[in-house]
Order: sequence, then structure tokens, then C-alpha cells
Amino acid sequence: MASPSSSQSLDLFYRFARNKGALMGLVIIFLVFGAAIAAPWLIDRDPLRIVYRPEIWPFTNARYPLGTDSLGRDILALILYGARTTLIISFAAAFTATVLGVIIGAFAAWFGGWVDEILTRLTELFQTIPNILLIMTVVAVLGQTIGNITFAIGVTMWPPIARLTRAEYLSLRDREFVLACRSMGMGNLRIMVTEILPNAIPPVIVLGSVIIGSSILFESSISFLGLGDPNVASWGALIGDGRTLIRRSWFICAIPGLAIMFTVLAMNLIGDGLNDALNPRLRDR
Amino acid sequence: MRSLILKRLVQIIPLILGVIVMNFALIQLAPGSLLDIMTSEQQVTDPATLERMRELYGLDKPPVVQLLRYIYSVFTLDLGYSYRQNAPVLDIILAQLPSTLLLMLVSIGIAVTFGMIAGVIASVKVNTFWDVVISLAAVFFFAAPTFWLGIMLIIVFSVWLGWLPVGGMATIGVDYGFFGNIVDVIEHLILPSLSLGLFYTAIYTRVMRASMLEVFSLDFVRTARAKGLSTTRVILAHVYRNALLPVVTLLGLQLGTVLGGSVVIEAVFSWPGIGSLMLDSVMSRNYPVVLGVFVLSAVVVAIANLLVDIAYYRLDPRIRKR
Repeated sequence: MASPSSSQSLDLFYRFARNKGALMGLVIIFLVFGAAIAAPWLIDRDPLRIVYRPEIWPFTNARYPLGTDSLGRDILALILYGARTTLIISFAAAFTATVLGVIIGAFAAWFGGWVDEILTRLTELFQTIPNILLIMTVVAVLGQTIGNITFAIGVTMWPPIARLTRAEYLSLRDREFVLACRSMGMGNLRIMVTEILPNAIPPVIVLGSVIIGSSILFESSISFLGLGDPNVASWGALIGDGRTLIRRSWFICAIPGLAIMFTVLAMNLIGDGLNDALNPRLRDR
Repeated sequence: MRSLILKRLVQIIPLILGVIVMNFALIQLAPGSLLDIMTSEQQVTDPATLERMRELYGLDKPPVVQLLRYIYSVFTLDLGYSYRQNAPVLDIILAQLPSTLLLMLVSIGIAVTFGMIAGVIASVKVNTFWDVVISLAAVFFFAAPTFWLGIMLIIVFSVWLGWLPVGGMATIGVDYGFFGNIVDVIEHLILPSLSLGLFYTAIYTRVMRASMLEVFSLDFVRTARAKGLSTTRVILAHVYRNALLPVVTLLGLQLGTVLGGSVVIEAVFSWPGIGSLMLDSVMSRNYPVVLGVFVLSAVVVAIANLLVDIAYYRLDPRIRKR
């Protein structure tokens, strides 16, 4: 299959944009990306540095518009730099999960037989362990760094992608165009990557965007539990730190939670929009 | 039916073996042996004692032998010994199990009940005010981190209003009598089960709504309408029943996570369950307990899969014929 022409991708975008929620999600994600990229220009210091008295309420001090946390760190700085941590981990983890899942699902469907048997059992095996438990354990064993957290989430989240990819490859494997490629003497890998993948990828992308949302929730949960990377700002860790102060300074917990919720919300809305745009079955509902 | 159950039961064994091998390997990657952690925590320095402990825990043997020993002991229902609590791992897990089951089953109950009702209403009144309100609420609760929602509920209902306790499973040191104690536990249960339940409710609402809409568009529904059935009857007898399958699938997936799904909420509410045990064990590198929870979790997943199969069998006559 040829790559979609520009009019085709324009068409895709129109269908995506017809979904108001998806557009709103896109705007929110752009804002979060903007915050993450602009963080060093907006606040040029280590976000984990103590800058003022602790527990300053939001909107009471012009220098620290969102107030300070339990230690006296600038909450605005923690939110902006926390956006970096969240986006890096969640996108990288979802990418890892998608690549792993696509490879495993594609090989299982294409080669069938014992390869399929082993890979399907492996997928089931990963699905028997509650995600959060596996992520916690992997992070605790390997060490609390951004890289390890990303790896832990990625290596835990691939099974749904693998199952979906396997189903897509199975339905495409015996189509005429694949047969044509085979009769032309194309190799397995070439058919799998250049011919089937472009046809199988749309639903996988939709699921991938949902996995980004879940990864954000997992990252924040891990940091909240105290298993995050202690050297970077994290929304989840900020909630965890503020937890003991909810009687006096509940805003310390409330603000980062809103940031997490709206970012995840935006990713889910984008997922819905992509589904409308890419899933032909539901297209004209 | 019986062959189905048998087939599932046989499948449990390789699954548990896989879980053991995978997690055993993972734990081997951890820096420092069990002995190093124990000695540093309990200040044991006497070489003779160390040697005895190494033998006692089988750490003098190569990892493969340790693995085989562990597999053998699991199949004799022995999950090892936790030096931290000074008790068998199985006993420790079983002691924490009821509170987690209570929390998870109540949360799932809330979710299934409210999720199905909301999903049906949204689908019947599709694209109206109620659909928009329900769908928006679902979108928000699906995106809110459960631990954050829990803390916000504590702030409102415990700190500001003072209606419900902040955490724990019962008021410590007070005996209200039999019924009083039950009421006490229920009061402690409301906020954690609601925090977890609202997240799950959002999922069930979305699935139920989508599934109902899917069935609404099928031919047999048009037939049912055409033969003059009332709208209520069409919805309840024809659409609702057929829309249940995805909900059952979801329920099965969720029953499988019953042991681990509440880790974060248990931490927020100091709920004395498997999640708290797991967090404590991961933090203190008490790997026998971690491994034990994984093994038990695999058993629970297998049972959940079996229940889903049975439910499918009852709900969908087409599967019975196969």
C-alpha cells in the first residue's frame, strides 16, 4: 500500500476535527507540551529547590502564583517541570509497548503454529499479573530512575497491543494483495513491514493513544507511592508529599491532580477522535 | 461444560509455572541477596549464623536449584517463609486477603450496578442532555487518578464535613458490639470503595453504552420493533441481554486484578489488605511475599477466566452449540 496522499491525510484530519472533544484534547495536549518545553525559560532554576516559606496559598504571592508545597518549593515550577517527566515517561513507555506489542503480535499471526502458541501464552502470562504490581516490582528491582520506570510501564502494557495486532494480521494474512506479494517472491519481513503493517496500524494507533493515558496514570501512581525518580519533579510525587497536609493546605494535592486528570482526559479524547477518523466501521454513525 | 472446566483447570498449571519462572528471574536481577538485606536490617554479623541461614533458605545452591525447589514447594501449597513477619508467606497473604476482597468486590459491585444503569440510560437517550451529562462524567472519572480522587473525597467528607473516617478499616480500640462494628466497617469502606468504584463505573458506563448502541442497530431489534413490542420490552428483553457480553468480558478481566487493583487506594486509606502488604514487601525487598502474591494472583486470574467462560456459556446459546 502506498502512503496516504496529502488529500487523504487532510480528509483524516477533517474527520478527526468533526469530533469537538478530540479538538479540545488536542489543544490541552499542545498546552501541556508547551509547558514542558518552555519550563526552563519560564522558571530557570531547579524545580526541586526550596525557594520560600512552605504552604503559601495559591494567588497570594505574585512570585509564586500557585503557592509553595510542604517543603517550600514553588508549585508552579513543579507542575511545569512535572509535565516534562510525565510526557517523556508516558510517550516513551507507550511507544515501547506499541513496538513490542506489534512485533510480538505480527510474528504470532504471520508464522502461526508453535511460534503463535508460545507468543500467545507469553501474552497471557503478562496479563495474569496486575499491571501496577508488575510495574512496582520492576521499578523496585531495577532502581528508581526515569529510564527504569519507562521500561517497567512499557514492558507491562504491550499485551493488549499484541492481541490487537495479532487479530489484524490474521485477518490480512490471506488477502489477495498479500498473496500477490508472495508470488512476486517478497520475503516474510518485507511483506510484514511494508505491506501489512500500513493496513494493520490504524486501530493500533488508537489503542496506543489510550495507552499513553494509562501510562500517565501509572507513572503518577508509582511516584505517589514513593517509587518515582527522586531527582525529577513529578505530579504524582507532589500529591504524595502534600498528603499529610490536607487539613491545612489541601491545594498541594488538588493542583497536580487536576494537571494529571486533564492530561489523561486530553489523551483519551484524542483517542476517541482518532477512532472516529481511522475506524471505518464507525465512521458514519 | 465439564470438559470446558477441565480444560481451564489444566491450563492453570503452565500459567503458574510461567509466572513463577518470570518473577523468579526478575527477582534474581535485584542487587543484593535476601541474606544481604536481612543482615543489614537485623544487624546479623556472626559468620556461623549467616552460614546456617544461607543453608536454611537454600541460598547456597545455584539459582536453578532454588527455582526448582520453589516450584516444588508451590505445588505443595507452600509459598515460602517471610523472615520479616516471621511467618509463612501463605498465612500472611491469607490474613490480608479478606479486607482486599471486601474492598474490591464492593467497588466492582458499585461499578457494575451504576455503570450498567448509566450506560443503558445514555444509550436509550443517545445525543440528548442526559447522554451528554453521563458521558462527560464518565470521561472525567476515567481520567482522574484514583488516589487523587480518594484524597479529594477525604478532604470533603472527612476533613470539611466530618462525616466519614479518614482511613483504616475499623475504629481502633473501640468495640461497638456486633452490629455496631459492622456499621463501623461500612463507614470506613465508603470512601475507598467509592474512589475505586467511580473509576470502574466510568469504564462500565462507556462499554455498556457502546455495546447497547451496537446492538440497537442490528436487524433483530428492528424486527422486534416491527412486530409491535413496546420500547421498554425491546430494550430489556432484546437489546440489554445481547449487550451484556462485553460487560461480562470486562468483569472477568477485572476479577483477575482483584488482588492488585487496590494497591494505590489501600495506600491512601491505610486499608490493611494485599496492596498494603505488597507495597511494604516491595519497598523492603521482601521477595518471598512478592512472589507469593504473584502466584496467588495467577490462580485468581485463572478462576476469573473460568467464571467468564461459564457466564458466556449461559448468556450466549451459540457458544453452547459449539
